[in-house]
Amino acid sequence: MSTSLWSLRAGDEGRITGFDDALAENYRVRLMELGFHPGETVACLQAPAFGAPKVFRVSNTVFSLDDEVAAHINIETSAS
Amino acid sequence: MSKIILIGSPNSGKSLLFNRLTGLSQKVANFPGITVDVATGRLAAAPGMSLVDFPGTYSLQPISGEERVATEYFTQALDDPEVTQVLCLVDITRLEKSLYFTLQVVRECARHGKRALVVANMMDVLAKHGISVDLEGLGAEIGAPVLPVSARTGEGLDAVVAHLTNTADTSIDNNSALAETPDTLLRGNAHQLARKYGPRGDLLIKTQTRLDGFFLHSALGGFAFFAIMFLLFQSIFTWAAPAMDAVEAGLGALADWVVPLIGPQMAKDFTSDAIFSGIGAFLVFVPQIFVLTFVIGLLEDSGYMARAALICHKPLRLFGLTGKSFIPMLSGVACAIPGIYAARSVDSPMKRLLTYMAIPLMPCSARLPVYTLLIAAFIPNTTALGGLVGLQGLAMFCTYFFGMFTGLIVTGLVSRTREDHYTDLPFVLEMPPYRLPALPPLLRTCWNRCRHFITKAGAIIFTVTVVVWFLGYFPNYGADLGESWLGQVGQVVEPAFAPLGLDWRYGVAIMTSFLAREVFVGTLGTMFGIEGADENMVPLVDQIQASGLPLASGVALLFFFAIALMCVSTLAILGRESGSYRLAVKLFLAYGALAYLGAIGVFQLVSLFSG
Repeated sequence: MSTSLWSLRAGDEGRITGFDDALAENYRVRLMELGFHPGETVACLQAPAFGAPKVFRVSNTVFSLDDEVAAHINIETSAS
Repeated sequence: MSKIILIGSPNSGKSLLFNRLTGLSQKVANFPGITVDVATGRLAAAPGMSLVDFPGTYSLQPISGEERVATEYFTQALDDPEVTQVLCLVDITRLEKSLYFTLQVVRECARHGKRALVVANMMDVLAKHGISVDLEGLGAEIGAPVLPVSARTGEGLDAVVAHLTNTADTSIDNNSALAETPDTLLRGNAHQLARKYGPRGDLLIKTQTRLDGFFLHSALGGFAFFAIMFLLFQSIFTWAAPAMDAVEAGLGALADWVVPLIGPQMAKDFTSDAIFSGIGAFLVFVPQIFVLTFVIGLLEDSGYMARAALICHKPLRLFGLTGKSFIPMLSGVACAIPGIYAARSVDSPMKRLLTYMAIPLMPCSARLPVYTLLIAAFIPNTTALGGLVGLQGLAMFCTYFFGMFTGLIVTGLVSRTREDHYTDLPFVLEMPPYRLPALPPLLRTCWNRCRHFITKAGAIIFTVTVVVWFLGYFPNYGADLGESWLGQVGQVVEPAFAPLGLDWRYGVAIMTSFLAREVFVGTLGTMFGIEGADENMVPLVDQIQASGLPLASGVALLFFFAIALMCVSTLAILGRESGSYRLAVKLFLAYGALAYLGAIGVFQLVSLFSG
């Protein structure tokens, strides 16, 4: 199922398929530099309450992304 | 002297490695345009070689103005003939995030004919989990030797030093292919190499995930956050207080000893009131700066700072700020100066600017004596709601929160006028593993920060103190402040204070409060002929009440002091840290105008209701 990284809940995983056009080019570049490549698997480790930034694991590094960024990263999850 | 550049991505343990390699011989400077300290030190094992610690960054492809400055400094340094080698540090446990940057660094070295050495840090963590990595294979693929170290235990450092000091080996890897590789290809290469050589992560982040489960838990995490912030706040208020008292007492004792030895009365007065007050005016901040830098350093090095930033991010984003603005602003509630230093941790230049704007509006402790005096003089000591709420306490609470609220409103409004949102850094925050902080580099940072304050801001604060003393002392040699040049200026500008219902004496007290807000109390006492009003306010409160000054004037003064940036020390350090004295002057004028005009409005409004 195609969705955005922001929609993942704690414990969910997804595979990055690309970036939304609304995400500025320099943001995309930085995300790829950090390991958020298309094809890479991302796991949501923590999804704190009140809309706080979520915590994601990509490769073996952990990053926190807020909705302004994570909502523009497209992913595919195994859930139908 | 040959120079070695030390570079690496954030959270790789660079400070600790630098400290290990250089020992105590360090000098810290700031690159113009960026707020990051750049330390230089001689290699302990080879004093003829110096190591330059460059700012940590994730990439040589900058996405903000500040990153651009740091990147340009690196490429310029490679043109320096004295720079012979580059030491690039990677966190081997998280290879993916460091490898692209490492390839960029090795490529730049190939282009500039410099030797590159890659140092794989955190090998002790891999060993603990029984994981091994083929560093030789990795080195062969990236075109530079990769040596294993643990900056924490010191293991592997001898081999690094031996490599760096082996000047007989002047060979530079022939990386002509890499030298021509563009960033886009390099990014793909880094990704593939990280997959091939990087350790698998499940085991490595297990503890981190478990601790995050607690510290980011909706209830427990919130409790931990408040407990930690309470400790931080206490540290500035309580732990620094004895040291601040000691500084004041020490200077007082020194003055008592030195001043009687001086002959002429004027020289005596100058030494006692200008020199010692001037030095005391900035030395008194040093303990706070030290303690706060230490506590914030503990939070950063332990990994908690990133979690605190995450927790605060959402509410602060509403006001154009970031989660990383919270700790500088909280520090600002004790004192703006350590708060402004703490704003270095805000990596986005735009958000750091907004944080700088908010900090002076936080109700700092220097405002407390002013608020106490005005509330005691103007607000009746009675209770409301059947004795549940004391009016004076309520007034203090409202005044405190008014400052915080105004700070947030200001940043919220200003951020909405900014067009650089998309050139700003995104909120992508690395969550470093939880680690026990290493004390030596932390104490060194604290020391450097204090030294920076004394050498950079001290001169300005001292000069202003001496000028104000001069104006208040002449032409009648300190006999009567009201008759001094300062008093005369106060009488000339009295019409400016008339719309607040205040006479020239308040004007003089407000002008002297530019040295530090609490000076208002002592000066006003002097103007009313009361000595030691700063120690015991009661006679001054009685005098103010007896003078028949209306309630509206008292509330207007409270408003004025909540907003106005009446603090030369804050302005000096704001100018230094932001790299823009223009910003400091602009904020002084803008908050001054807002405070003054707002106070007039408040005066009119309260007059209307209080008859």
